[in-house]
Amino acid sequence: MYRLTAEGKKYLDKGLPEINLVLYVREKGPTNIKHIQKELDEASVAVNWALRNKWIEMRGGDVHVVQTPQKYDVEDALKLVEKGRAPSDGLLPTLLKRRLVEEVRETLEHRAQKMVGSDIGTLTEDLIKTGAWKQVKLKPYNVEAVGKQIYPGKRQPYFAFLAQIKRKLVELGFKEYRGPSVELEFWNFDALYQPQGHPARDWTQTYSMKTPQGGRLPDRKVVNAVKAAHERGGDTGSTGWGYSWSEERAARLMPRAHDTAITPRLLVSGIEIPGKYFNISRCYRPDIIDATHAVEFDQMGGIVVDRNVTLRHLLGVLKEFATEVTGVKKVKFVPSYFPFTEPSVEAFGYHEELGWIEVGGAGIFRPELTQPLGIKEPVIAWGMGIGRLAMLTYGIKDIRYLFAQDLAWLRKTPVR
Amino acid sequence: MPTIEVSYNDLCKLVGKKIPLEELKERSLWQAKAEFENATKQGNYLRMTLKPADTNRPDLWSAEGIARVLRAYYGKGGLPQYKMKRSGITVKADVKVKRVRPYTVCAVVRGLKITEEVLLQSIQLQEKVAGTFGRGRRDVAIGIYDLSRIKPPIYYTAAKPDELAFVPLEFKQKLTLREILKQHPKGKEFGHLLADAEEYPVFIDSDENVLSMPPIVNSDFTGKVTTQTRDVFIECSGFDMKRLKTALNIVALALADRGGRLETVDVFIEGKKFTTPDLTPKQIEVDVAYARSLSGLDLNAKEFAALLKKQLYDVTVKGAKLAVSYPSFRQDIMHPCDVVEDAIIAYGYENLSPIVVPATTKGSLHPTEAFTSRLEEILVGLGLQQVASYTLTNKRFLFERMNVGHAPVAEIANPQSENWSCFRNSLLPSILEFLAANRHVEYPHEVFEIGDCVLLNESTDTKTRDVRKLAVALTDVTIAYERIASMLDALMRNLGLAYVLKRSQHNSFTPDRVAEVVVNGHSLGYIGEIHPQVLNNWGLEKPVVAFEIDVDRLSANT
Repeated sequence: MYRLTAEGKKYLDKGLPEINLVLYVREKGPTNIKHIQKELDEASVAVNWALRNKWIEMRGGDVHVVQTPQKYDVEDALKLVEKGRAPSDGLLPTLLKRRLVEEVRETLEHRAQKMVGSDIGTLTEDLIKTGAWKQVKLKPYNVEAVGKQIYPGKRQPYFAFLAQIKRKLVELGFKEYRGPSVELEFWNFDALYQPQGHPARDWTQTYSMKTPQGGRLPDRKVVNAVKAAHERGGDTGSTGWGYSWSEERAARLMPRAHDTAITPRLLVSGIEIPGKYFNISRCYRPDIIDATHAVEFDQMGGIVVDRNVTLRHLLGVLKEFATEVTGVKKVKFVPSYFPFTEPSVEAFGYHEELGWIEVGGAGIFRPELTQPLGIKEPVIAWGMGIGRLAMLTYGIKDIRYLFAQDLAWLRKTPVR
Repeated sequence: MPTIEVSYNDLCKLVGKKIPLEELKERSLWQAKAEFENATKQGNYLRMTLKPADTNRPDLWSAEGIARVLRAYYGKGGLPQYKMKRSGITVKADVKVKRVRPYTVCAVVRGLKITEEVLLQSIQLQEKVAGTFGRGRRDVAIGIYDLSRIKPPIYYTAAKPDELAFVPLEFKQKLTLREILKQHPKGKEFGHLLADAEEYPVFIDSDENVLSMPPIVNSDFTGKVTTQTRDVFIECSGFDMKRLKTALNIVALALADRGGRLETVDVFIEGKKFTTPDLTPKQIEVDVAYARSLSGLDLNAKEFAALLKKQLYDVTVKGAKLAVSYPSFRQDIMHPCDVVEDAIIAYGYENLSPIVVPATTKGSLHPTEAFTSRLEEILVGLGLQQVASYTLTNKRFLFERMNVGHAPVAEIANPQSENWSCFRNSLLPSILEFLAANRHVEYPHEVFEIGDCVLLNESTDTKTRDVRKLAVALTDVTIAYERIASMLDALMRNLGLAYVLKRSQHNSFTPDRVAEVVVNGHSLGYIGEIHPQVLNNWGLEKPVVAFEIDVDRLSANT
């Protein structure tokens, strides 16, 4: 609601100054500006607006009329406001700026009262505060219309999955440990009793680093014990691999090829006994990339160590994972082979649709591995193909999709 | 891990017992650590695909090898017994082979009835043993010949590439050694093994017939074994006597299991005589208490001994210890734990009851991961979509596309593809790559990534340091710097961190539209508008505002 100000009323009564100016000059003929300023009220306002409206022109200090207005929209607008009606939106700013009209500050009650008896679209604060909503009819909404699609902030599905797994493991009493992405061959292979001539250490099976080169081997004592274990078994009661172990080879750097690479570091750093540890680590291998082999992939693994753990405890650990982490109901165990464990086990879980699927592998670390690292107790090492489990969970057929650069997919994948 | 094909009927015949398929799959094959993959019907025969689990047990990579273990499992077990005579055949190694392929061991098997199935298994076994155990024929190459076409003694020598010619397997005309490497399929496949050699190894008989050029190919005349062949000569050549003897025993025993009679050959190398095959069993001692503690099985010495017999061992109980003899072809036994595992396999993994390790330990996340999940909660709350990308990338993306000069990064020496040839040192390229891949997806795009970067660092043992970083990027038709500044502010306030933004310079950002994020006087990263040149480089068509900060340093300041 708007109303005329005192000035607005005056102008409507006596005419707008710019109109009065034009009428004056038309009657007198071209008139000097100084004379006008003396003769007319609000002469500068009048000249200003008359110029802007292109009614007059200035020629050497004289005002000339070039056009006489027949109708003036400002005057019409003032008449409308006087009748209690709203001026057009286009003119309102001008009227407000010239302080010819002003907004009427209505009371809440007044505003609300005006809506009484009508059909209301928007439920307003006024209606709620005054209770006037009781006297209006709220128009029906099209409540069956589906909302416009919007996208919430979300976790990346694979990362969210990993976080859930981690939470589960923490609940089961496992401590998380980490290790470097670029690793010494010593930790990735030698400390795990993998001989230096083993095909798995071939350049076709693992990456090596161009920059940087040559890492630093750990404590002399550990290096010597590992060397002895490889060559003739050291004090472990083993024959060893029977070859000449090269320190230079062990100091080579490579992108970590498997998660177990960081476990010997954990063992020498001092562990709690009993202890349960886990890691999820990014691993790198020069595989041909396809639906089951990505450029890089995550492995989950860890250890359980205690004074008297046996193969049967290992089965207990695997069974716990299979049921708690992967959610399968039935588990079976079969013999397996890992270069650093003996005995070794593979666990299969029964999946409703897929039948028996691999859910994890485990074994007891060979004494040639633990003893040089100063561990006397048996150590259960376990691991699970975490990427494959994520694929099952999300119904993904291609492992590369775990890292999909696909915003539409990320937006439409439900939160689990 | 090798995969082998075996005929169900053939396997049962070798075992001497009709074993139901289900029993094979679920139990007996595990005795030989062989996983059943599938079976397909071929005429009247069932062909099974098996996956031997143990890459250290080449003796189990054939129907004969698996049947040997199953015979022990179903029968009375113990060390397998083989009769052997002297063949009187000698092989003389010339000093010239010393530099190129120094060792060979040989055997003779007579009186064979070679069926198609025997031939198939023999070829498969040679391929797997030379390929996997022999590392692509480098360490072990195997040749089997029709003995009736060979005139002993046999000479193992070396010849210049153009000095000698013979007709290689499946060829019609003579080729020189050099031509064989270039023209014969096996020459092309394995020629790299002789790339540095000036002379190539050859076996020649007393009629000057070439038997073969190891590790490449046999001659078509002597080196072709067919269903007509009765007596064979076997040689294994390579670099490590121990591995060669193992391979020879495995191949020769497989033929002996088919009814062949084994005979030894005297090999002379540098004046030393080696009579092979050498089937002398090997010995190891196993403490019964150790077997009990490793397996968790409450068994006594006699019970362990009985289990081991089922795995081809002979065992004598000596008080608290077991004196164990095992077959010559087992080269994988280094420690008593290897023997104990075999006992457990004979006991049956399905018969072991699991023991749950009591949860007496307290679990926890690594501090970096715990902090990361705090960040994720705030950023998701700000309506950002988390994205994930690989830590491997390339220098083009890290430097050229980002409008910054090359700097040393952790780089791979043998990348499969140039696209993934070094570790990222920053997350901004990853996140821009993501935006570039989604140009045609509904805008705005508001994303974040938290991930590891690898930085060079002389002070660590790996000369690198993993650094966790966070990057946030916003893009739309128009996008205000104030928006990204608000996001950063919200993050910092919710971590309870005071920070300042200091006008700065960074070539990936528009000049005068970039600041450093400073906490406690430490710069944590940059915030600003991505340089239009960088947008052009990535093919991005809409403005991007972004920040990247070091999560480890952020965490250190909270």
